[in-house]
Amino acid sequence: MLAGLLPAIVQADTLAVTNAKIYTSTDQGVLTNASVIIEDGKIIQVNPEVVTADTIIDAKGGILTPGFIGAMNSLGLVEVSQEKMTRDTNDKAADMTFDPSLAFNPKSVAIPFARKGGITRNIVAPGGGETIFSGQTIEVTLTGDWDSVIATEQALFVSLGAKHDGSRIIGMQNLINKLDERQKALTKAKSKKSDKDAAKDPTKEELIINAVLSGDKPLIAYADRGSDILQLIKLKQRFNIDLVLLEAADAITLADEIAKAGIPVVMDALRNLPESFDSLHNSLDNAGKLSKAGVKVVLATPGDAHGNYALRYSAGNAVANGMDYQEAMASITSNVADTFHLDAGRIAVGMPADIVLWSGDPFEYSSHIEKMWIGGEEQSTESRQDVLRDRYMTKSSMPQAYTK
Amino acid sequence: MSKFAPSLTVIAISVALLGCNQTQQQDPQVTINKNPYPSTYQALPRNSTLLTNATVLTGTGEKLEQADVLMIDGKIKALGAQLAGELIAGATVVDATDMWITPGIIDVHSHLGVYPSPGADAHNDGNEVTNPNTAEVWAEHSVWPQDPAFNRAREGGVTTLQILPGSANLIGGRGVTLKNTPATTMQAMKFPDAPYGLKMACGENPKGAYGRGQKVAPMTRMGNMAGYRQAFIEATEYKRAWDKYESDYAAGLNPQAPERDLTKDTLKSVLEGEILIHNHCYKAEEMAMMVDLGKEFNYHSGTFHHAIEGYKIADLLAENGNCAAMWPDWWGFKMEANDMIVENVAMVDAVKNSCAVVHSDSSSTIQRLNQETAKIMYSANQHGFELTEEHVISWITSNAAKSLGIADKTGSLEVGKNADVVIWNSNPFSVYAQVNKVFIDGAKVFDRQDDAYRAKSDFMLGQQ
Repeated sequence: MLAGLLPAIVQADTLAVTNAKIYTSTDQGVLTNASVIIEDGKIIQVNPEVVTADTIIDAKGGILTPGFIGAMNSLGLVEVSQEKMTRDTNDKAADMTFDPSLAFNPKSVAIPFARKGGITRNIVAPGGGETIFSGQTIEVTLTGDWDSVIATEQALFVSLGAKHDGSRIIGMQNLINKLDERQKALTKAKSKKSDKDAAKDPTKEELIINAVLSGDKPLIAYADRGSDILQLIKLKQRFNIDLVLLEAADAITLADEIAKAGIPVVMDALRNLPESFDSLHNSLDNAGKLSKAGVKVVLATPGDAHGNYALRYSAGNAVANGMDYQEAMASITSNVADTFHLDAGRIAVGMPADIVLWSGDPFEYSSHIEKMWIGGEEQSTESRQDVLRDRYMTKSSMPQAYTK
Repeated sequence: MSKFAPSLTVIAISVALLGCNQTQQQDPQVTINKNPYPSTYQALPRNSTLLTNATVLTGTGEKLEQADVLMIDGKIKALGAQLAGELIAGATVVDATDMWITPGIIDVHSHLGVYPSPGADAHNDGNEVTNPNTAEVWAEHSVWPQDPAFNRAREGGVTTLQILPGSANLIGGRGVTLKNTPATTMQAMKFPDAPYGLKMACGENPKGAYGRGQKVAPMTRMGNMAGYRQAFIEATEYKRAWDKYESDYAAGLNPQAPERDLTKDTLKSVLEGEILIHNHCYKAEEMAMMVDLGKEFNYHSGTFHHAIEGYKIADLLAENGNCAAMWPDWWGFKMEANDMIVENVAMVDAVKNSCAVVHSDSSSTIQRLNQETAKIMYSANQHGFELTEEHVISWITSNAAKSLGIADKTGSLEVGKNADVVIWNSNPFSVYAQVNKVFIDGAKVFDRQDDAYRAKSDFMLGQQ
């Protein structure tokens, strides 16, 4: 009893994974027959000459990757999409302050299922409301623990493009005006330091736009059609913001301009149909072509809450259609981290120990997870789906309800 | 009254008798044309073709290594090792070394053409959400052959697909089976002699579209069941009327034909076994009731589509001869899709006399039914199954053909079957596998290496 009241003197255990083929998602590229050492949830050594650790796991030549990072989906915000009471993605009243962390449910059954796909971290995006500003993204880990939310108010999400009622002009105009007004206000405030107005506390919305204008907060802009993308490139040039394109079906028609402007593209590699007049240039080889043109590509399953476990297969399909393998690996690890300003996504010293040990090529259907760690903690890959399967696989003279 | 003068009663009787007297002339017999929009499909130009030295999955459970496939006059003529001896003069030879050959992929559940790309309001032609029973509508009348997704599906190896109406209605209408050959009319894609399908839907969709959406029946699942039963009661009466008309006519009488009813025509053909049921139905308890509904009205309950909970009643499905067409991993979008397990198809398949099918219901995954199958095979094998490539290919070929009632024509590489064939550049259950060539009835319809065999829809032509 007494021991529990004393301050815990914890000697951090070290864990080494040895004899692995490590896809670092860094300049180090792929290390073979390599090891990684973890302490206090962080990677403290990558492939040291001598391995010393409290626990050593022999990967037996298996592949070790950074945990994959999902982006711009609604994981943890929705349990059953069509059951409104289980869905917190959207609200008419949502504005740019709409904060998914207030609803994020680390106990959603979709989270263990996503872990099965090697997803260890995720950018949760709000669905938004009636304005173009959907709210801000948050960063979560997939431990399922109560402390899953790592960061809030991360990036501002804006939705542009075709409107079923009305014109796309209004959306783009709103965005331009918002940035323009705030920039003018900031300039004015600078020049009149003693002005009463400048002393007034800025609103939450003004602070958000300030952060976008200073480049601290990325602006994630959903748009598909080339003409919209072109406007957004101009917007970036005019306001010097950290712009990220989401979906961007026509990005391929402006690949060089996007690359030159340094705008990352978050996209679904499997989109290859002209789903709308805004997306006539969808193709399976777009991810590879954009990446070859020098665009930082992030592969994602935007909007989805239940299917992002399959992200690794998207990466595989991108490779099958011309994307460089290492680029595809980066597109679901380090590129996501860079695009959303995360301290993760690489197997490198100082990074959180979000790592996955695979039975084979992580993009292949034939491969599965041998072990995975988030922040150095080993994770289960069992989900509700496994329990259901096992119940119905078990032969019993009693109804299945008794098999638990 | 004179004994020669017949009574009025007698006159009346004799007139009545005369009305259906065998000696009286019959009106022309009223018949229902069951094929008013016939197929005009013709195979594309073709040559006898020998594919050599491939790994061949036959669709009948066999895997042939270093095998050849010979296609003549649109049919599989031979398959096995080194068929060069059987080669006829002038035949095309395709070296398929290191490649894999499978039967053409068949999707039993597609909305291509009725929910085409681009998704324009004007092209929203898949759900006749005007009445819970619209057995009178035929999906073929909505098909836009220029849907660019037909081409993408072909590039994923799909040679045959059933286009179904959506699932808003209890009885949504007829589905049509098409060959995935580019054409300017639906009829030119229509699979000759394939039976029609009838789309039915259980559960949340119909009660949502009517009860919740329009405040008319069905509002509940019990309302759903009442709706199907009422429809089949009426169809049974209708069939009885036509049967009586036909037997009376055959007996030489001159009966009055029943009034034609387009809705009941379709249901009558179901009762006659000519139209196969394709039932959107997710849940175990609902599928079990739909099996009984078929028994109640004396038709077969056909194929259950989506069947998220198929694994819970795998025995029942197999015993009753139902196919189940399923996804590997779509879930969570509604309550009835909550109990998804990735191994569903494998568990339905594991029972003797089963008929497990992998379907798409998607213009995207229709392009990767091989990969959808791979997901299931590998996940199941990780959990105690011992599934092989030569077995699971049946889920997207021969079992699918069985579900559509065309297994005598396609779905497997057997001598005499239609030469619907896919060449893959590698093992089709790899994420990296791509379709190299596609043949429909022995005619090359896609070639990844040859732009002349890459079809482009009118819609995409000239887009900037």
